[in-house]
Amino acid sequence: MVLEALEREGVEYIFGYPGGANLPLYQHLHEHPKLKHILVRHEQGAAHMADGYARAGGKPGVVFATSGPGALNLVTGLCTAYMDSVPLVAITGQVPSTVVGRDAFQESDVIGATSSVTKHSYLVTKIDQLPRVIHEAFHIATTGRPGPVLIDICRDVQQAEAERVTAERLEIPGYRLNGHVDFDGARRAAQALAAAERPVILAGHGVLLSHAEHQLQELAEAAAAPVGTTLLGIGAFPVQHPLSLHMTGFMGTGWNLNAVQNADLLMMVGMRVDDRVTAKLAGFAPKVKTFIHIDIDGSEMGKNVRPHIELVADAKQALQAMLPHIGSVNGDRAAWLNQIDEWREEHPLRYKHSNGRLQPQDVLIDMYRRARSQAIVVADVGQNQIWAALWWNYDRPGLFINSGGAGTMGFALPAAIGAKFARPDRPVWCVAGEGGFVMTAQELSVAVEHQLDVKIVLLNNFSLGMVRQFQDDFYGGVRSQVDLTHMPDFVKLAGAYGLPALRVEKFEDIAPAFDAAERTKGPFLIDFRIDPEANVYPIVPIGKSLNEFWEAPES
Amino acid sequence: MTHVRPFPPAAPATSPHVGEVNKIRVLSVLVEDGPNTLTKVSGAIRRRGFHVRGISVGPSGQPGRLRITLQVDHGHAEADQVRKQLERLVDVVEVDDVTADDVHTRELVVATVKAPELEGLLQRGAKVLATGPKGTTVEFTGEREEVGAFVDELTLHGIVDVARSGPVVMRRTA
Repeated sequence: MVLEALEREGVEYIFGYPGGANLPLYQHLHEHPKLKHILVRHEQGAAHMADGYARAGGKPGVVFATSGPGALNLVTGLCTAYMDSVPLVAITGQVPSTVVGRDAFQESDVIGATSSVTKHSYLVTKIDQLPRVIHEAFHIATTGRPGPVLIDICRDVQQAEAERVTAERLEIPGYRLNGHVDFDGARRAAQALAAAERPVILAGHGVLLSHAEHQLQELAEAAAAPVGTTLLGIGAFPVQHPLSLHMTGFMGTGWNLNAVQNADLLMMVGMRVDDRVTAKLAGFAPKVKTFIHIDIDGSEMGKNVRPHIELVADAKQALQAMLPHIGSVNGDRAAWLNQIDEWREEHPLRYKHSNGRLQPQDVLIDMYRRARSQAIVVADVGQNQIWAALWWNYDRPGLFINSGGAGTMGFALPAAIGAKFARPDRPVWCVAGEGGFVMTAQELSVAVEHQLDVKIVLLNNFSLGMVRQFQDDFYGGVRSQVDLTHMPDFVKLAGAYGLPALRVEKFEDIAPAFDAAERTKGPFLIDFRIDPEANVYPIVPIGKSLNEFWEAPES
Repeated sequence: MTHVRPFPPAAPATSPHVGEVNKIRVLSVLVEDGPNTLTKVSGAIRRRGFHVRGISVGPSGQPGRLRITLQVDHGHAEADQVRKQLERLVDVVEVDDVTADDVHTRELVVATVKAPELEGLLQRGAKVLATGPKGTTVEFTGEREEVGAFVDELTLHGIVDVARSGPVVMRRTA
């Protein structure tokens, strides 16, 4: 019954792991050849694979896990998807309904443990609930602000015979979709944007989720307003566009941060305006007279910054509604754009490359030269993530995937595997530090088993680089528990899993290693031994305002 | 009706904590009567740093749905965040923020006191439920302040036991 319902929802891949409480599902899996099951090596890997699959392909990711530890191993992955609004449907086995609450073997309160990291969840104790629940789950996961939905199904329900019931018409009174644009608000927003002397637009993940990148670009060009993106909004606006401010936030570019801090109008589209974007909230965008906030989730309005004009709507529809009202633009706009160009000259992205060590930026620049706007980059968390965000010129959506909200180390490898299942036509690069990589490295077996063309770029600095940088810069220079000298030989590790690998220690070896990776079919790992002192810049010191950013020392 | 926790006495207008009283939102919430609903409502409140100061749960006028009346301290968050965060829950059908509205509010207190002299309590409108060797059990309903004053008076009579409900509210129609 579950499997038939999944077929009806158009599911192609299931990332899962069998166990006592979901065996009935696995018993009948072979009868459903349309459902391809990918056996992971740890349930967290399943959740991240489904996440990468959903982000790269746009379809909801589906996860299976058994009860107790199986389901609890999903929690980090569900949280990652929840924080970044990624549609997942996780189906977990639960002990039979007759023993629920009696501390049965592998019983845990999965609904209780996951309710704060899911958009919605269901405990199914009766077979007649199933068709409705599965249909609702996919609807809720994929509509509005997307997110993970969990269905906990008792084992006896999985086995129960039922009349074949097709899902009834959806009726969820408590589920509100904000579909209607307030046209008066859109007109006022457009007029304010056009009239502003120093406007800035910031675009978040919501722009990508609603496929609003064309409307965004049209609006920005019509209003001659510069556009920055959040970390998750990367791809919403071409980095090389003359109006681009690149990435914002406490590791954003200097010209972006100066623009935000000097703007008189800030329009925030499809974003949560979290602490990584604002840095010190009291010092955020201090000269702004008009905040405009567009988001499909009404609870984002005023959660962190109280907007003067709020549009609770889908980003595409809201931007579309604004377009006709832009009209003539404030005559001082040229001066503002010139000022931003000056900041761009004054505060370029730069890095030290004079000490003879391999610099991570050199690695990424060579990657970009090859992949351009074809490859999907899946980054892990830490310095590698910010380097991968800043040193590529992403020019459209869907090319950069990372765990922005939850910041989950170990995300990249399984998410890259999921992304490759969704987009077999595109090169997929996994960029990770060695710290995060070993957290989920067991999923290499999945890449090898399916001979997935996932190229792993390990930026190996033998330390927890971002933590080390914070300790150096903000915690008195005391290096504490960041040393990762005792790590596996990654070339041998790759060999043990059955994939080819190379080690690179010198600048000259970067290109030949990438050549070899590109020539090789299937997974490939390159262990780049980078400068252990390489840092991420710009960076805003903890507790400071955006304009107090530090830059890379002159090299 | 489920009695969860008593509401603390209202702060006098001169109290330095008067600002905290202003941070309290009163919400009337219509929810689906599901096994996970209360967990999700209380989880959403806790996770956002809000604090429940009074709650009562009971049947609503609609079959399969419950009415939760909540008094919530929204802490450092904006006042309307409580309503918005509850509205995000799929099990929540409707949230009515009645904080500033003209409403009937009722709380219930049931208490057993030692003293046989109950004149003062009865004058306030208390009803005697039972009299026994341990004392007299009375009930009283009223607005929060009235119930607070009633409890203050109870202490003069030597409280043996007291139970107090959360609030229920309804908009005044006439």
